[in-house]
Amino acid sequence: MVTREDIQKIALLSKLSIPEEELDGLTADMQNIIAFADTISAAGDLADPDFDNINDLSNAFREDETVPSYPQEAILQNAGGGEGGYFPVRKRR
Amino acid sequence: MGIIKTIQQKLMAGEFSCTELTRAYLDAMERDNGSLNAYVRATPEDALAAAAQVDQKLSVKEALLPLEGVPMTLKDNLCTKGIETTCCSNILKGYVPIYNATVWDILQKQGAVLLGKTNMDEFAMGSSSETSCFGGSLNPHDLSRVAGGSSGGVASAVGGNLAAYGLGSDTGGSIRQPASFCGVTGLKPTYGAVSRFGLVAYASSLDQIGPIAPSAEDCAAVYDVISQYDPMDSTSKGALGPASPHLEDGLRGVRIGVPEEYYDGVRPEVLSALENAMAVYRSLGAEIVPFSLPELKYALPVYYILACAEAASNLGRYDGIRYGYRTEHYNGVHDMVCRTRSEGFGKEVQRRILLGNYVLSSGYYDAYYKKAQGLRGAIVKGFHQAFGKCDIMLAPTVPMTAFPLNFTGADPVETYLTDICTVPVNIAGLPALSTPCGCDQDGLPIGMQLIGNTFCENTILAAAHQYEKAAGQYRRTKWGVSL
Repeated sequence: MVTREDIQKIALLSKLSIPEEELDGLTADMQNIIAFADTISAAGDLADPDFDNINDLSNAFREDETVPSYPQEAILQNAGGGEGGYFPVRKRR
Repeated sequence: MGIIKTIQQKLMAGEFSCTELTRAYLDAMERDNGSLNAYVRATPEDALAAAAQVDQKLSVKEALLPLEGVPMTLKDNLCTKGIETTCCSNILKGYVPIYNATVWDILQKQGAVLLGKTNMDEFAMGSSSETSCFGGSLNPHDLSRVAGGSSGGVASAVGGNLAAYGLGSDTGGSIRQPASFCGVTGLKPTYGAVSRFGLVAYASSLDQIGPIAPSAEDCAAVYDVISQYDPMDSTSKGALGPASPHLEDGLRGVRIGVPEEYYDGVRPEVLSALENAMAVYRSLGAEIVPFSLPELKYALPVYYILACAEAASNLGRYDGIRYGYRTEHYNGVHDMVCRTRSEGFGKEVQRRILLGNYVLSSGYYDAYYKKAQGLRGAIVKGFHQAFGKCDIMLAPTVPMTAFPLNFTGADPVETYLTDICTVPVNIAGLPALSTPCGCDQDGLPIGMQLIGNTFCENTILAAAHQYEKAAGQYRRTKWGVSL
């Protein structure tokens, strides 16, 4: 059974702040969803423990060589242009 | 004839210029998008610039590339360099990619005319497009109904004749379900057939990009262009070959499998439309082969466990530091990240992140994530064995027709259950499409789903094309451009 405390703990891990007034509703939703997910426990030994991936995919490697990348200004443009080539984060605002 | 070929023939015959055609689409968007809410951003300058280049080619009688000059749209989770890409989430508002998704690179080189970016459920998490921060897209057949989701905007735009075709993404049915609701055709290709580079990730082992268009012929034309190997996607394989040359392949002797589990709980009108489709296929010489695929009963919980686990990991990158929304007031970095994510993500996205981290957390990992992965293996094996008995499979796309507005949301599990017919192929990485096969008593479209074996898109596209020729159920709506 998922508890309020479980939700608070998972929210902290997820870096989410759940308002106090939403905790009960969210706990109830999560209890329903987890009860639904629990239906897989009835599958017995049907699961294939050796399953790795679909369509015989294998990891794609390339040579460890330096290749051209995006300019720093372009990378920083979605962070307001950055400051001195860095992503700025104040201690508080 | 499909709309892509029709447009290109008319362009080459000089019936209209590409600029005139593009202006007609842009004018129709201006007029009708307020009703359909299909587009979240129009790109008229880019569209007209691309159209002018096509007209230049036409003026010197140069041959057109397969999709050249055809006005189209992209779901707003496909990165477009210089054009805001939001995933319809407040957390990505203002994000302007510095690179293109590979599929858009390919289409741009083909001379595609991008009309704008289309609406979707936030981060592709939803079945109605109503979790979008821009509000949901409406169904062009009935404005009191949703367009479906998550690629609801693409389906609404194509069904509303506001684009000739569009690209969506399908993680658990997000191309096929809205295509079914809006009475158009949508193809979810084999996992690995189309590059995912530049698709904002939801669940990386399930996501796949594909076309939504009025017909199977159009979907085949788009699929043939975008299904290329891409070294930028480590899971890319490309296609075995083009599908379009196989569209006229006959169905005599083709075994169409009917897995009984797909038909549990399906509404009577949907069932009746599917039975009529089976009769059409029999008349075309195909053999209907009923069988059971018992592993399917675990597909939906397996899907939600795996998709949410992958989403929790993928969405960890949104911290407000490098791009997107950042909260106004905070005290320390941890507080800034928590506030940014809580203010930026919608409720459904937060719910799925929590579920994902729950099933991945110590103490629950074995019981949920690991077990679900093992069951994924069993489902893959079940499908592969089933393809020993049949060549393609026929199933409903959705057990019902388009929901009324605000139908989803109150009970998350009830909403998730509507995905029951679409998620299995994502789990198994198979290709599948939805194409119209009738309508209910309210005139809402019903979709049928054709499922193919791995990298056998040609078989399902041919079967859909042959059905369309024999008993096509596509109905044009009153909206948009009339060619």
